[in-house]
Amino acid sequence: MNRILTTIRKSKEMNILLVLIVISIIISIFNGSFLTMGNLLDVVKSNIVLAIMSMGMLLVLLTGGIDVSIASVISAVTVVVGQFMVHVSSNIVLVFIVGVLAGSLMGLINGLLIAKLKIPPIVATLGTMSIIFGVVLYLTNGTWITGIPQNFIDFGRVTIGKFNVAGSDQPTGIPIQFLFLVLAAALTWFILKYTVIGRGIYAIGGNKESAERIGINSDNLTLFVYVYEGFLIGLAGVVHTSIMRQVDPNAFIGFELQVIAAVVLGGASVLGGYGSVFGTLVGVSLFCVINNGLILMHIPVYWQKIVVGVVLITSISVDVIQKRMQEKKNVRVDIDENIQRFARTSVSKEVKTQA
Amino acid sequence: MEQNTQQTVENEKKGLRKLFGKFHLETKELVLLWIFLGIFILMSIISPGRFLSVYNLQSMAYQFPEFGILALSMMVIIVTGGINLSITYSATLASILGAVVMVSMNKAGAPELASVLVGVFIIIVASLVTGAVNGLIVAHIGIVPMLATLGTMTLFEGISLNITKGGAISGFPNMFQWFGNSSIIGIPVPLFIFVLVIIATYFILQRSTFGAKVYMIGCNPTATRFSGINVKKTLFLLYVYSGLLTGLAGLVMASRYNSAKESYGYTYLLQSVSAAVLGGTDISGGFGKVFGTVISVLILQVISSGLNIFGVNRFITDVIMGMILILVLTINFINNKREEKALVTKKIVTA
Repeated sequence: MNRILTTIRKSKEMNILLVLIVISIIISIFNGSFLTMGNLLDVVKSNIVLAIMSMGMLLVLLTGGIDVSIASVISAVTVVVGQFMVHVSSNIVLVFIVGVLAGSLMGLINGLLIAKLKIPPIVATLGTMSIIFGVVLYLTNGTWITGIPQNFIDFGRVTIGKFNVAGSDQPTGIPIQFLFLVLAAALTWFILKYTVIGRGIYAIGGNKESAERIGINSDNLTLFVYVYEGFLIGLAGVVHTSIMRQVDPNAFIGFELQVIAAVVLGGASVLGGYGSVFGTLVGVSLFCVINNGLILMHIPVYWQKIVVGVVLITSISVDVIQKRMQEKKNVRVDIDENIQRFARTSVSKEVKTQA
Repeated sequence: MEQNTQQTVENEKKGLRKLFGKFHLETKELVLLWIFLGIFILMSIISPGRFLSVYNLQSMAYQFPEFGILALSMMVIIVTGGINLSITYSATLASILGAVVMVSMNKAGAPELASVLVGVFIIIVASLVTGAVNGLIVAHIGIVPMLATLGTMTLFEGISLNITKGGAISGFPNMFQWFGNSSIIGIPVPLFIFVLVIIATYFILQRSTFGAKVYMIGCNPTATRFSGINVKKTLFLLYVYSGLLTGLAGLVMASRYNSAKESYGYTYLLQSVSAAVLGGTDISGGFGKVFGTVISVLILQVISSGLNIFGVNRFITDVIMGMILILVLTINFINNKREEKALVTKKIVTA
């Protein structure tokens, strides 16, 4: 059984990877500049925030929950961070601490509502979304925060390594923000793969009741998941500010659905218990490559939504249909075994009666 | 002795339930009704000149029907344990398609009545199709409703954007305004449509075998299937009905704003989930009453209009709405806990 599960898991993520590769080839046939270092770096840089947040969302989906408040949380974090830098201090370490604390605090509120008050995740986060966005927009009036201190801007421009890129005179490198994505992905992967917490998260997502029966404290784990998600959103908020060099409280409206779509494209199940860091990264890449590819192929902006919608629906449909076929196969095996067992027992009964 | 008093209390409760059962209002809906009346009276006392004015009451009566219809289209799906994220874009896609035809017919010099009738017909047909697409994906392919409708939501938005190129379509025949801006014997037409939708939804959901099947699916789809009910067909039809309601909402919105645009009513999406949940609909399916949703739509409308009149910042209104949602669910949680405890003690007493 375990073997079957691992092969399915492998094939699922490999399928998405295959789709990613095929789409990349198609795009690069239409437009040669897709596979240039400059373009790929741009794609990475503009989607780091999405990728970091999708790590948090992955954990939430794994427990069978959902979080629609993430867009409001990150816009609150960026506002807090922006105000902190402008009015208090622009020490980079302090800025990161403030951002992460703000994110974790809001995650804690979500977690308490969901784990302790047992409010269904979608409803609880709907409520906090409304509250947090309301407070942020009331306090900022929707105005941008500009005048981010120079040292933070400089920090955002740091690159790792230097190489020349075709079509541009200035040498570029991997943006420093990429490091945080690597950090977030590695940490999430480690937690899921090698800690009791991670195993517990898969367990409550698979079947909450049986997880509780074997002694897993699902309340505390749920709380952890939302706080950890808040922590990652805090990180993403600071990273976003370092990329954009200003704060727009309205920048993230509707972002939550993009994150959920990307994670789901990566094979995570919204019913919980299934999904991986690798798959999520591939899903996020697929999401970004499609968006970038449509621009490079000069397809009007209006078509992008249609393509994303169609890709989302077809990829999940294929997955569901595959799973159903697999299940049918399994059922047949079960029936065969039962018939054989029945035959065996009836034979043995006959033998007994004869004796 | 204790048992006796308990029994009398229970009998009294049963009597009450019988009395209100006649009107199909259960205690939860009754509580909501009291809350609504309380808030309404409170607002009227605080600001009698402005809240209780004919002007304000009328403007509210024009405002909430579109939200109410969308909330019901969300609620019927939530009852099955699903969610329909595509409602607002389904509404606007239908109204945009109708608008395109109506405007071009109007420009071509067709009689007003004909172009309005054709436009409305197309809005209704388009909304049925969007519902059928959702139903096909959810019921027949078997994708989780949240993801399926997330996909169709982006799809409908994309198609709408492709038609409008980001702008709004306007230039309807004057007669089209009737659906959103006129009144029959003092009752605004949108309110009239809303009442019809309430009655239809009530009979479909709570008064028919089809509705009973819907609630059963919400409780346990597998058990429902094994008891010989065609789950796929029921779900499919329900999504088509949900689509039809979005079409009616789209019709009212297009007529009220006298234009069609893909982003109209987007804020209603999550608000309609709130309205359904506040109205006692279980987000995991199986429970929910039409009247509960309707009353909570009224509550939300009265609060937002009232706060608006008092000059409260729009964003603070959002904060208050969110807090109400969480507060109500917290109260539900505490109530459930208390009931559980009462049940346990009752068992002990009887034992």
